[in-house]
Order: sequence, then structure tokens, then C-alpha cells
Amino acid sequence: MMSPKARREFGNFLFVAPYLCVFLWLLIWPLISGMGLSLFKADLFGGASFVGFENYSRLLQDPVFLQAVGNTFYFVALTVPALAIIPLFLALMLNRATRTAAFFRGVFFSSSVLSVTIVTLIWRMVLMSDGGFVANIIGFFGFDPIPFLSDPNLVMISMSIITVWWCLGLPMMLYLSALQQVPQDIYEAAALDNTPWWKQLTHITLPAISRTVVLVVIMQCVLQFQLFGQPQLITQGGPNGASRPIVLFIFEVGFRRWDIGYAAAASQILFAIILMVTLAQYFVASRREGRGR
Amino acid sequence: MNRVSAIDIRNVTKAYGPTLVLDDISLKAEANEFIAFLGPSGCGKSTLLRMIAGLETLDAGEIHIGGRRIDEREPGARGVAMVFQHYALYPHMTIRDNMGFGLKNIRMNKAEIDRRVAEAARILEIEPFLDKKPGQLSGGQKQRVAIGRAIVKNPDIFLFDEPLSNLDAALRMRTRLELAQLRRRLNATMILVTHDQVEAMTLADRIVVMHDKKIQQVGAPMDIYARPANRFVASFVGSPPMNFLPVSVSEGANGAVATLGDGSKVTTRVKGLTDSASWELGLRPEHVRVSDQGLAAKVEFVERLGERTLVYARLGDGTALTAEDEGLSRVKMGDTIYLKVDGDAAHLFDADGKGYHTPEVG
Amino acid sequence: MSKPFGHMGWRHSLWWLALIALGLIMVAPLIWTLMLSLKSNSELLRSTTNAFHLPYTLENYAAILKSSGVFRWLFNSVLVAGLTTIGVLTLSSLAGYGFARLEFPFRDVLFVVVLFGLAIPEQAVIITRHQMFAGLGLHNSYPGLILPGLAAPFGVFLMTQYFKAIPKELDEAAMLDNASRLKVFWKVLLPLTLPAQATLGIFTFLAAWNDYWWPLISATRPEMFTLTVGIASSQINFAQTSGLGYLMTQAVFASVPILIVYVFFQKYIVRAVAGQAVR
Repeated sequence: MMSPKARREFGNFLFVAPYLCVFLWLLIWPLISGMGLSLFKADLFGGASFVGFENYSRLLQDPVFLQAVGNTFYFVALTVPALAIIPLFLALMLNRATRTAAFFRGVFFSSSVLSVTIVTLIWRMVLMSDGGFVANIIGFFGFDPIPFLSDPNLVMISMSIITVWWCLGLPMMLYLSALQQVPQDIYEAAALDNTPWWKQLTHITLPAISRTVVLVVIMQCVLQFQLFGQPQLITQGGPNGASRPIVLFIFEVGFRRWDIGYAAAASQILFAIILMVTLAQYFVASRREGRGR
Repeated sequence: MNRVSAIDIRNVTKAYGPTLVLDDISLKAEANEFIAFLGPSGCGKSTLLRMIAGLETLDAGEIHIGGRRIDEREPGARGVAMVFQHYALYPHMTIRDNMGFGLKNIRMNKAEIDRRVAEAARILEIEPFLDKKPGQLSGGQKQRVAIGRAIVKNPDIFLFDEPLSNLDAALRMRTRLELAQLRRRLNATMILVTHDQVEAMTLADRIVVMHDKKIQQVGAPMDIYARPANRFVASFVGSPPMNFLPVSVSEGANGAVATLGDGSKVTTRVKGLTDSASWELGLRPEHVRVSDQGLAAKVEFVERLGERTLVYARLGDGTALTAEDEGLSRVKMGDTIYLKVDGDAAHLFDADGKGYHTPEVG
Repeated sequence: MSKPFGHMGWRHSLWWLALIALGLIMVAPLIWTLMLSLKSNSELLRSTTNAFHLPYTLENYAAILKSSGVFRWLFNSVLVAGLTTIGVLTLSSLAGYGFARLEFPFRDVLFVVVLFGLAIPEQAVIITRHQMFAGLGLHNSYPGLILPGLAAPFGVFLMTQYFKAIPKELDEAAMLDNASRLKVFWKVLLPLTLPAQATLGIFTFLAAWNDYWWPLISATRPEMFTLTVGIASSQINFAQTSGLGYLMTQAVFASVPILIVYVFFQKYIVRAVAGQAVR
């Protein structure tokens, strides 16, 4: 028999138990067993032999994987700054209580609710060189179509444009709500001092929302490192692997070639990259904040 | 069982981790008594109240209500009702539902719930708000609803946790008067936790002064004021606080004679002193009057309150002293004044802080 | 309202021009899609420039309404997103109350473990999860599509914070009012968390609706596709598709429900995002 206290605490535990079961079963256990799996040569049919870190050393020599890592970093370098800056501009412009501003806020956020399949469908129609929207427009002015999706040098840039178009709503909203928290009397004081607008921006607004800037950068890094649907749906990673990111590599290896031990190792590397980049940014941000005080 | 609802707290102890908050507390309250727990914040008075309510567990000891041990019962099964500091009204329920919630939970029939809510609403004059939500009410109105929610339960004991501390000064005074009237009407045992001595003095039959994990003194308000058991009670009750002057003591004809640092003597009527290495003379400001003769002192600050004037002065040997003068006092800062001490009303405190007073007459 | 770009005359209008240009870039693809969907496939086959002018037709929409596949996918999406949302709200509310208010051994350690879960990207678990579900025969089933969405820790985190922000006096008052743990949760605290429920519900619904990775690998039979995967499948077979206009009509058709949800709940979405920023 349990004591009344133990019985009560058991009853309390029952409130969190359902979630914890799902959490351990579908998140923690797959994570741990995935780490284990990455040490095996395993395939779909249950054949598995322990190979130690061989999958990892193979990955580091696999030109396809290395290209995918390079592509991913290139993509992050293209999108994250754009997704930190353009939404900031939008938020600064639209942080007012007018109907026009509300309308524009709605416009800029609307793309965020669309699924990746719709976004890619739409943008394929915009960018394709044969009858795409852009091709039609520049064709009207007598130019040749630009091979946005078939030129290896352009394809990642195109993916970035699509991604920025798709993702800028959320950071804009984050900035807007941060701007709402900035006390208005600072601006009134600045106006009395005849502070020029750009000085207001760099000396008052940006420092006041610096935490949100960090949040946006970290969030977007985590998100954009996981690029998958856009290239998978539009180019299948081509041409010549120029648009294949790490996640697409994992998908192809794990679910098309069924080399799941190898795929698991690649996904652990992605996890490690994301974790390190996040921690590094967090560390830098908190140190700077510490100095600022 | 007819003489119900007396509270009997026996040797209660409580610690949060390594920090002791209540040390071996024992206390009894009689039926229909109004008791105030008075003390500075952190003295454990709220913890003791919450233990009676069942919101805190006991580490040791027992609590009995009406002769039955209740300290292991659920809060709802103890026959107590509590009025919280921040009212704790359920924001999403109407006032009517707020008051009826506890009764519904014990499956009381609807007609009886309605009757009780209507009755409490009539007493507290909150009938117009019954179908509003707490968010639409002012602080004073919420306070009444909180009291109403306690009344409908018809409890053996009402517990009030700093109920007036969220009200502004004017409303606080009015609510204090209303609480006093309500108390007469309800005939139930009530316990009030407060750090405000005026609340305790005006409302309670008996005050329990608490400090440093222990009960310092239990007594009627005027008893506490006139015969503080120790130096802490003497300094905590009374505003401005009592003056304490280091003295040496000798036997006199009618009582002890206290000799101040500058050699001047105050003849008291305190008797039955024990041996002590050092003594302090306790004098309330109203017993130190500005006069033509007596102790010489220099005025450091003057507070004019209208009906009286408080004079903060310093004696020749550097001891600070608060004295009282009439409302139209001419005393100014920097003046040298003379203070007449009423030795009959003086108290003496020994080295341990224990208080000695003029014997009670009759 | 703050006007960091205020009071600057002609420069002011330049900023607005930039904003309007960006706005046009935002909507142009959407309008282009709409125009394509209103064109007959044969006309588009000749040239897509035809989409810029009349005549427009609803024949693609008529074709969609006749085909069964898209409706099945729509139904799947509604079911999966709806049940995921209900499940997440239920689990998160219970766990949030537990973590915020109740005492049991290892509570704080467990909560930290759950917080750690926030850092785990989908890709780090998806391969082994796929294997597990294959072993259990859960692929191509509704439970298989719904369950993974229930494991995300964000809801528990959000609800725990929200429950913690509710004054504890309310629980205590309810306990003195003879309410049991379950009643305190159900009658007193849960109604107060409605704003958080709305926020979490919309986010979960959007995420489940738009999820692509998991349904892509878990649902391989067309009748178990969600709308997202279904549209993807027609897109991948782009070359042999039944026609450009028809494809774009699918896109329009698939975005309409979610855009309706967006317009309807815009207030809550904004509040949800705002809550994140304040954190």
C-alpha cells in the first residue's frame, strides 16, 4: 500500500504521464536509437552490422555529402541575413496603427501560412524559363529568359529568393511586437533633441530590440539549415547536385537508397551543426549583452 | 459539540528546507473570538494561517477545530473559509457563480445555494453586481465578493489573509469598520493576519504578536499596548514606537528608580524586578511631554500632525528620544527643550528584553 | 506609434515606394497563379502569356470538383491537422498544469528534459521513427500521421509558462471551495488558459497542415496523402501532368482553406507571435 503522500504524488504524475510517454516514445527514443543506428551498416531488410564510426568517415569523404554541406551553408548565408534585415525594414515601416499598415502586414504574412508544396508550385511557374512569369515579363522587354532553375550558379539563389518570400512573415511579426515594447517616451525625448532618423534607428530602436534580432537569427538558422522541400520539389537537387542540401541527402540515402545507417549518421551531423551554430550565436549574443550592461 | 469552532493549535513546527519558519507554536482560540496574528513580514503569521486552512502541511504538531483534529484533512473539509490578500476571485465566473462554486462542489441543492448567495449579497450590498464578472468590479467591491464567498459557506472559522492591504487608505478605513460590524452579525470565530497594528488593535479581541518563528505575546489589544511582554512587542506595537533608554536601576519606595546616562532619575512604579546586568527604560512618546523643566534635550526634527506634534530630540548623552507636544507647539528644530517623563507609565526591560510594568490596579 | 522613418518628406515617399515594390513582389506570384488557374490548359500549352488576358474560364475548377483525389487529400488534411491539434492541446494542457502546479518526484528534472526536446530537429529522429512505425505497421494510417505531431515539446513549454503565470491563490481558493485537483484544473484554471489554447491550437494546426517531411515518407498510398503531399505528387510528375492550369487550380484550391483559417484567426496568430517575442 502506498502512503497518502505517495498516492497523491502518483496522482499528480498522471497529469504529465500521457505527454511524457509520447515524448519519450517518439522523440527521445528515436534520437538515442538514431545515434546508435549511425554506428551500423543497416538496410531496410533488418540486416545490420556494427561498423563503429565508419559511416562518419565515409561521409567526410563522400563528395555528394560534402557538396550538400557546402550548399546548405551557402543557402543559410544567403537567406538568414535577408530574413533578418528585410523583415526589420518592413516592421519599421509598418509599425503604425493605420489601416494601410495593417493591410500590408497581412500581405507580407500571408505567404507564411502556405505549405511548401504550394509555394514551390507557385514559384516554379514564376521562375521557369519556358513560359514562367519572369520570363514573360523580361521577354516583353526583349530579353532572353534567365535559367533560374537550371544554371548551377543561379539555382541556390533562386531557392533563397523563394525561401525569403515564403518565410519573411514570421520575423516581421516578431520585430513588430518587439517594437511595440519600446517605450515611446524615448522617441519623444529624441525628437526634442532633434536626433536624425538614422541615429534614432541605430542608437534607440536597434539596441532596444537587439534580443529579438538574436532570436530571429537563431530561429532562421535552425529553420534554414533544414532546407528540404523547395529543392526536393523543384529541382530534385539538380542540376548536378547544385541545389541538394543536407536534408535532401538524408532523404535520398535513407528513403530512396535505404542505406539507413548512413542516413542516420548524416542526420546526427546535421543535428550537431545546428546545435553548435545555435549555441555559438547564443553565446556571442549573451556575451555582448553582458558587456553592454 | 455545541461549544464549537474553538481552534486548538498544539506544538506546530514548520520548516522550508533548512529554514525554520514556525518553532513549536501553541495557541487556543475560543468560539466567536476575533484573533489577529500581528507581526512583521516573514514572521510566519501567514504560514500559520495557511496551515489552519490546509494550504500548508505541518512538520510536527496538531491542529484541532471544534474538538476534531483537522490538520490532515483536505482544505475544503475543515469548516474554514478564507479571504485572500488578492481576493482570488475566479475571473471567468460571474459574482454569483464565484460565491456559489464551493457550495456546488459539495452538491448543495440549487435553491439553498441561491438563498445563501442572495442573503450574503444583501448583507454586503453587492446585489447589483451578481451577474457581473470580477474584472468589472472595483477593488473594494471585489473585497466584498471575496468576503461573500466566505460567508455563504457558513464556516466555523473565517480566515483573513491581509484582506485590507490592497485597498487605498480611505477605503481601508471604511472596510475596517464594515468588518467590525460584519463580525458582530456573523458570530463566528475569525482569524486575521496583518502587519498593520491599527487593524489588529481595532478589530481583534486578542492579538497574537509573532516574530522570529515564535509567538511573542498573546493578549487583548490594550494589554499588548500597555503591558508588552518584551522589547520586540513594545517596539512593534505603537506608533511612533516606544523610546528605549539605557538605564541603571535601583529599588525605590514605590518602585524601581531608573538612572539615565546623564545622571537624571526617573521614578517608576515597576515592582518585582529580577537581577539583570543592564536595563532599558521604555517610554511611549505620549508619556514624554515637552515642559518647562525636566530632561534637557536638543530638537532634531519636528513633525506637526495637527492634533499633536511629535518632537524628535537628543539627550545630553546622545540618546535619541521621541516626545509629544500639543498641536500648536512652538518647538522648532535646534531648540533646547525640557522633557517631563511620566514615570508611572514607564516600562523596564531586562537584558533578555523581558518587560516589567506598573502593577495592574484592582 | 513610433515613426523611426517619420518626418522626412521626399525620403519618406522613397521608403514607401520600396515597401510597395516589395508588396508587389509578394502578391505577383499569387496573382500569376490565380490567372493561370483561370486559363484553359490548351491555351496555356501554346503560350503562358495568354494568361495575361481574357478569356478566363472556370473549367479547371470544374475538373477539380469532379476528381476524387483532391477531396480525399483535403479530408485527410483536415482530419490529421484537426486531431493533431486536439491531441496537442489535451496533452499540453494536462502536462502544463502538472509541471506548473503539482508536486511529484523529479518534476524539475523532467521539465528540463522536455525543454531539451525543443532543440531536437525533426531530421535527427525521423529515420528511426520511420523504422519504428514500419515495425508497428503504422505507415499509411491516420495514427501514423498524427502521433509524431503530438511529441513536439513546444506546447508543453507554452502551457507550463501560462499556468505558472496564473496566481496560485486561485487554486487555493478553489481547494478551500472543495474542488479536487481535476476540478481545479478543469473548472478554474483551464478556462483561464483559453488565449494560450487559441494560440497553440492555431500554430499546431498550421504546422500539421503544412507538414511535408513526415507524411511524404509515412503515407505512400495516394488515398492516405495529405493535401500537401498530394499536391507534391502531382508536381513531381510535372511533365506528364494533366495541364498547367489544372495544376495551378490545385494550388489555389489547396491554399484556400488555410488562407481562410489565416484571415479568420489573424488576431490570434499575431498575438501568438507577439507572445514568442516577449519571451
